This record gives sequence, C-alpha cells and structure tokens, in this order.
Amino acid sequence: MSRLFVVNQSSRAGMTKILIDCDPGHDDAVAILYAARHLDLVGITTVFGNASVENTTRNALAICELVGLDVPVAKGFAGPFVGGEPPFAAAAHGKTGMDGAELPEPTRKIIDAHATEFIIETARAHQGELVLAIIGAQTNVAVALRLEPRLRQWLRAITIMGGTAGVGNVTPTACINVYSDPEAAHVVFSSGVPIDWIGYETTRTVLMGAGDVARLRAGGKVARAIGDLVEFYRQNYIRIYGIDGAPMHDSCAIIPFVRSDLMRHVPVALRVELAPGAARGMTLVDRRGIQPGVTLPPPRTPLPANVGMAVDVEIRGVIDALVDTLLTYD
Amino acid sequence: MTKILIDCDPGHDDAIAILFAARRCELVGITTVHGNASLANTTRNALAVCALAGLDTKVAQGCAAPLVSPAVHAPDIHGRTGLDGATMPAPTREPIATHAIDFILEQAERHKGELVLAVIGPETNVAAALRREPKLATWLKAITIMGGSTTIGNITPAAEFNIYADPEAAAVVFASGVPIWMVGYNVTRQTGFGQADIDRMRNSASRTAKTIADLMQFYLDGQRRVFGLDIAPMHDVCAIFPFVAPELITYVETSVDVELTGTYTRGMTICDLRGKRATGAGAIRDAARPNAKVAISSNARALIDQVVEAIVAYP
Repeated sequence: MSRLFVVNQSSRAGMTKILIDCDPGHDDAVAILYAARHLDLVGITTVFGNASVENTTRNALAICELVGLDVPVAKGFAGPFVGGEPPFAAAAHGKTGMDGAELPEPTRKIIDAHATEFIIETARAHQGELVLAIIGAQTNVAVALRLEPRLRQWLRAITIMGGTAGVGNVTPTACINVYSDPEAAHVVFSSGVPIDWIGYETTRTVLMGAGDVARLRAGGKVARAIGDLVEFYRQNYIRIYGIDGAPMHDSCAIIPFVRSDLMRHVPVALRVELAPGAARGMTLVDRRGIQPGVTLPPPRTPLPANVGMAVDVEIRGVIDALVDTLLTYD
Repeated sequence: MTKILIDCDPGHDDAIAILFAARRCELVGITTVHGNASLANTTRNALAVCALAGLDTKVAQGCAAPLVSPAVHAPDIHGRTGLDGATMPAPTREPIATHAIDFILEQAERHKGELVLAVIGPETNVAAALRREPKLATWLKAITIMGGSTTIGNITPAAEFNIYADPEAAAVVFASGVPIWMVGYNVTRQTGFGQADIDRMRNSASRTAKTIADLMQFYLDGQRRVFGLDIAPMHDVCAIFPFVAPELITYVETSVDVELTGTYTRGMTICDLRGKRATGAGAIRDAARPNAKVAISSNARALIDQVVEAIVAYP
C-alpha cells in the first residue's frame, strides 16, 4: 500500500487549487491540514454549524496559527439563508465547536471580504481550476451562486461532505450540514456544477481509533494537539452514538483529489427535501437500481443524476493517509 | 395456530401470502383493497387464487380508492390484471355481501385479543375500520404490515408502493396504538424466489404449484427487467412470518413516522435507526416513542424454503 505522497511545499504549480468552506469542527481541522499539505489551498471560508460563525472562524484561525499556515480566512454567514435558529452541534464538538486541545491564540486576522465575495473572486481569478470543498452548511456557496451566475461555469468542481444516503444524525433522515440550511443545499446540488458527494452514512464509518490517537500523541507539538482534538471527538462519539472512533467526515471530501485509489464515485440522483415535515433536510438518493433504458411512468420515473456519490471507501487507507500527513507537520 | 385475516391487493406476492397463511395459520378471511390493480381486479384475483387452491375462505371487498389521494396501480410490475402470467381458474363464487371494513370489525370482535390483521396492500380498509370503530384498536392482537422501508423505496426513491398508495391511511394505522410488525421493502427485496425455486414448483406434482410457477416466472422476468434483480421478491408473505416462524426475521423496536407532505418523500416510512443517543444533546433531535417492530434482516433462504414447501403441498 503506497504511503504518503511527499509534496514539495515551495512549488505548488500544477497542484489542484482548493478553497475549503467549513465550520471547524474537529474533522474540519484534519481536512484543512490534509489539504494544506497536498493541494494548493488558496483560502478558507467559514460558516455557522458545529458552533457559531464567531467560534468556527476563531477555530479556523487557530488551526492556521498552530501550523503556521498562511492562507486567507474569510468569515461567512451566521445562520441559514431562510432563517430560524441555527442548530449547533455542541454535543459532538463541544461549546467552542472544537473543544479538547490547548490551541494557540490566533495572531492572524480574517480578511475584510465576506466569505461569499471571497469565493466569487477566487473562482474568477482561477477560472476552470478551482475545486470548492463544502464541509459545513452550504449557505455561503448558495448565496455566491445566486449573487454571481457565472460562478457555476468558473468552478472546476464542488466536493461536498453533507447529507446522508442512510441514517441521519440530527434527525432520523438528515445530517446536520444539510439540515442546518436545506434551501442552500438545494441551490448547490441543483447548480449544475460537477459535484463529488459523500454522505454521513459512509463517513461515520471512517474512524480514527485509539491506536491512531496514540500515533498522533507520540508525535510533535502539532500532532499532539490534533491527537487531543481527535480523542475529545472520539469520546463524544462513544458517549452519544456508541461508536468507538472519531469519524473523519470532512477529509473524505478532500481525499479523492489526492488519492484517487481510496474511493470511487458513481453517478446518482440526489434531491434535498425542503417540505416542512419529518423528512426536511433529507438528501434523497435514488438507489432503486432501475435498469438503464427502462422507461417508467411517473411517479416511478428515475430522476436524472447530478452528483458522483462516493462508494467503496478504503477506510484504513484513508485514516493512514490522514495520520501520516498530520505527523509531517512537526 | 394464529388466527389471521389478510387484507390484500392480489398481486403475485399477495397470492403467495394467502396460500402460505391458509396452510400455516387459521385464515379467518380475506379482504381486498385497491392497489396493485383496481379493486375489481384484486377482488377477482383473490377469488381466483382461492379457486385455484380449493380454499373456501370468505372474501370481502373493500375500498376502491385511497382516503385522500387518487388511486395508483402497478401494471408495470403485476400486469394489467394485477395477476398476469398464468391462466387462472374463474372464480367459483362472489365476495360476501359484507363490506371489508365491517368484516374486519366483525372478525376482530368475535376473536377479541386473538386476531392478527395482516395488511399487505394499501392500508385504506384498516384505517377506515379504525376510524369507524375505535375499539378495533383494543380488539386486535396485532397488525403485521408489508409496507414501507428502512432504506430505499420502489415506486419512488423514498417510498414503497403500499404506503405510497395511501400514506394518510398508513399514518392512521401507525398511530393506532395496536402492536405493529412492519416488514418493509428493505428486507423483502432480498427475500424471494430464485429461478431454482420456480423450477421446483413447476416440476412438483402439484397442479396449484405449476400455475403459481407461471405467475412467479412473469413476476421474476419483470423484476429482472426493471430492477436487475435475480429473484422475485415475495414481499407479502414476509409479513406472515412474525406469527409463523418469528426467528427468521430480525427486528428493531423503534418509531415509524409516515411522511405526508414531502416533495420527494411523500409516502416514506421514516424509521429512526440512529441507535444510542445521549439525552440533552443539543442539536440532535431525540427519538420519538417506538410504535413498531421494524424488520431489519431475514434468513431469506430458510424463509423461502418454508414458502415453497407450503405451495407444493397444495393439490
């Protein structure tokens, strides 16, 4: 099994440009640090979700401070597009949204531009090249798509962690990233931009266990701090879900752009349920297996595919890639 | 043997459920409902199945349309008559004069605390009966449902046909307070006749089984064509097994919510399978009170073997 790709940090020419829209967040932190090592991370935008946008922004700056990462950080929306009290995932992530470790006080500041403006400007500057990773509520990106109609052509791809094709977390059928702002998710999923997607039902199995935490805690300052974060998250998952491991949800959206051997994507139709019933926020995926060429009248008619859904994830390969990468920071 | 009344919309898999229950339970009656085909067709099909197998079970005709929404049928799966694929004998009798709703009430009251109602089509009759006589909920021993799914649907990505065809009725039934077993499409799509099972029925000495083999071949060919499956799922008979061989299906006791207003999810059974949750967990919506035992998996081969044995035992 091939190990970590060694990347020459001083030269990022030819590397995939990526902007991460996120709500750090324990798993967001790992995703950011993984992307910063292997891709051309051109910026970070923050959104409410795992905690308030003030907290997720401070957490993003703290992660950058921890490793000396110099990328623009732009603050985004504090709540969902249509309104209502945003639900914060305090149970899994703690009061600050990223409890569990002693992190340095940020010295860097956010840039002046709103996250939405920064997304548009960055995509404009790198037309056809930019991958946008959305690993929290999709509010910033939905507004950007509406504000700038050309954005959908400028983006090379969007990669999303959010929603579920199986069991939910915040409700029986919904994952918090989509439930937090279903209208925004609908705008993004129906935008026509090529989308890679992975759902909570899969990412909740991509776990860092006690052994992985031990490897991190045996490392340098950065690895130890991340090890503490991961261990806090793992303990919460044991307590809340009876799952012994810290799920690396968000990294699953980044991994495909570095290691195409660790999962593949199949085209599926994904729709967001917006009606105000018990299924609100559900990402409905058509997996009935209707054979190609079979025409069926409504309501059986298959829906057109709009995302590449991640399948066959090599869990141990993903976790090893993440831990190996984190250890290179010291 | 368990006293059972089957409310159904024959339907290929309904026919198998009737024949299996007639052998392994005390089948007190059959009621028919719109669903796989029109009520006239499902009623005729139920009587034809009885004629085929020599059953004198009473058949009472029920509701022709759902409580609220327009009727929806499944000709792509079951054919124009609802039971295409074989030459069925002509019915030898009529349905009884009593409407299905009243027949359900009559039988439940007569067999108070003992009667299991197997609902293997749209739930219109049962919902109407519960509304007509609230005491029905206390008379019934249990309701066992073929319907819904914990995962994917068939008629729509999220919804299984029986629930989709009358979601309002299903909501009434799931809220009734009667002990409920739900065997959904997630299990039943993996529990069916393979080609070898159909061949065994065709090659048996049973005249009934040979006709059934023709019906099942039609059904299997359709499932292959539409879904790429290599079995003919015997959805409905699975709902009989909780009261015949319960060890062959595993269940989770949880809450089932029938979605009525969703754009993409109308008719979906939302089953809470999240498992362990801490209380006071902030953003996480707590579990609702359990209202059903929901099937999660089956020993399909053992189950189907019992079904085939029952079929080939007919003359």
